[in-house]
Amino acid sequence: MHVTPFGLAIMMIVFLGSLGLPIGHSMIVSSIFYLLLSGLDLGTAAEQILDGLFNSYVLLAIPLFILAADLMNVGTLTDKLLRFCLMLVGRFRGGLGHVNVVANMIFAGMSGSAIADAVGIGRIIIGMMTKDGRYPVAYAGAITASAAIIGPIIPPSIPMVVYALISDTSIGYLFLGGFVPGIMLGIGFMAMNSYLARKRNYPVEPPIPLREIPRITVEAFPALMLPVILLFGIYGGVMTPTEGAAAAAFYALLASTFIYRAVSWRQLYDAILTSGKATTSIGMLIAGAMAFNYVVTIENIPNSLAHFVSGFSLSAAGFLLLVNAILLVLGCLLEGTTILLVIVPIFIPTAKALGIDLVHFGVVVVVNIMIGLLTPPYGLLLFVLANMTKQPLTAIVREAAPFIVMSIIVLAIITFIPDSILWLPRIWGYKG
Amino acid sequence: MNRIRDIGLWLRRRAQNIAVAWLTLMFATFIIQIFSRYVLNHPVGWSEEVVITAWLWTVLWGAAFIIGESEEIRFDIIYSNISERVRRVFTVITGVVLLFFYVVSLPASYRYVSFMKVERSAYLQIPINWLYSVFIIFLVACICRYTWLVYRAFHGAPAPMTDPAKTGD
Repeated sequence: MHVTPFGLAIMMIVFLGSLGLPIGHSMIVSSIFYLLLSGLDLGTAAEQILDGLFNSYVLLAIPLFILAADLMNVGTLTDKLLRFCLMLVGRFRGGLGHVNVVANMIFAGMSGSAIADAVGIGRIIIGMMTKDGRYPVAYAGAITASAAIIGPIIPPSIPMVVYALISDTSIGYLFLGGFVPGIMLGIGFMAMNSYLARKRNYPVEPPIPLREIPRITVEAFPALMLPVILLFGIYGGVMTPTEGAAAAAFYALLASTFIYRAVSWRQLYDAILTSGKATTSIGMLIAGAMAFNYVVTIENIPNSLAHFVSGFSLSAAGFLLLVNAILLVLGCLLEGTTILLVIVPIFIPTAKALGIDLVHFGVVVVVNIMIGLLTPPYGLLLFVLANMTKQPLTAIVREAAPFIVMSIIVLAIITFIPDSILWLPRIWGYKG
Repeated sequence: MNRIRDIGLWLRRRAQNIAVAWLTLMFATFIIQIFSRYVLNHPVGWSEEVVITAWLWTVLWGAAFIIGESEEIRFDIIYSNISERVRRVFTVITGVVLLFFYVVSLPASYRYVSFMKVERSAYLQIPINWLYSVFIIFLVACICRYTWLVYRAFHGAPAPMTDPAKTGD
């Protein structure tokens, strides 16, 4: 049997990756391996990584979003926001479950990272939910994990920034496209929570006295303004998304220093260092993908696939269904950013050839990858929550199942009705 | 031995200072860029070059010196479900493979980076080989780090593991 250098390089990635080498390094090593086998200049890996990182201005939104979230988390902001959500939805049956979902929809406006949302808000709200055994711990963990996937779908969203890079679509339109599915997921999860709460008789929170409402709103107001500033900056046609991210981070700094008066120099330093680490984690995946995507490109894989698929005379809907199925399976095995950077570019020429709108495609792919964070066996969120609540993984999975079903229904709707996503970007002038 | 550890910790903190400085520079430059473009109506050209350099250095400097083994993004479906002993064997195997390819590619990477001295950045006229030198720092640091990890795995220290709560996604 004849094995090509490309085949060997793929095997090398799988081999190193499954033996526990960090994914970024696995991709860089495999690219060098490929260059060596093909007799190409070994400096090409360095060239691809350096030129790639140096010319991807749009990616700068990533460290800035992370920084904005970390700066906001330093303050007492999370508590203030949760009080606000409690005021809004606490009085309904299963109130804290609703608070969990709504808090994630609002927080989505700042962190853009599902894991950060689950850890940040999750820690506090799970504490509230499980105090005096009000909710089963596994249910608290499961709804926290599920609600966290809404964060990166409602803008701002780091995965959408990455998709914008690989597909050359507008971040602004992708962000707008994320609103509808994000809100659909929120409503779907709350409906499911309502149903389960009634069936299992989960508690209602004592209503917050009327005279407290103005104070709680005022306290939460500066935090609620962050998404407004960001979105106004971008969609008012004033700033680029990257500059919007910088403005949001700057506002976060001002808000937590002057309004919440919660930041010392030491905390500021630590927040920047934490952001630096998160930036590096994602940046290394991007660097590895830049090296490896060069290999994929010179092997002409994406076009071969487009050619191959066209042989089946697949419809656009059929192709999307196929991509969804592939990504859901891969999402059980691989981490989201890796899928976006390595697998999704392979599909893009085919999607284009079939006349699928690339903003629609991007939103579907991102929603799909977020669901992948929830699906066993390798849903990262499940691990994080099992770890945080000290519950067995299977208990979390069982409780999360209804929410996973709900999110797949939303995925199906947005897959087959492109207009459900695209109407909003079109209002802002998208010509798709 | 304690003295060596103290020096190591000291160096690590200085490396962290530098990473924080890069990210702060990126952030501050963005603020200046926005201020001069939208408030002063006088856009500055050099800012994009500074922020993109800061991004490049933050990522590769961070990967070289800052990020801990528990913060790396791994594919750990197999890796987290095996015994500590097997995991150490895996660490040795992957470490040796990485060392081989990084060492072999080092001269070519160095040639590429130093070749870039023929180009200068558009606004600040800095030779590109200076900006790109961080890649060589990154490669050498990774070679040292993985030599150390392989050495430690041989001597029975616990294999590196990812803590999911510490990775951003």
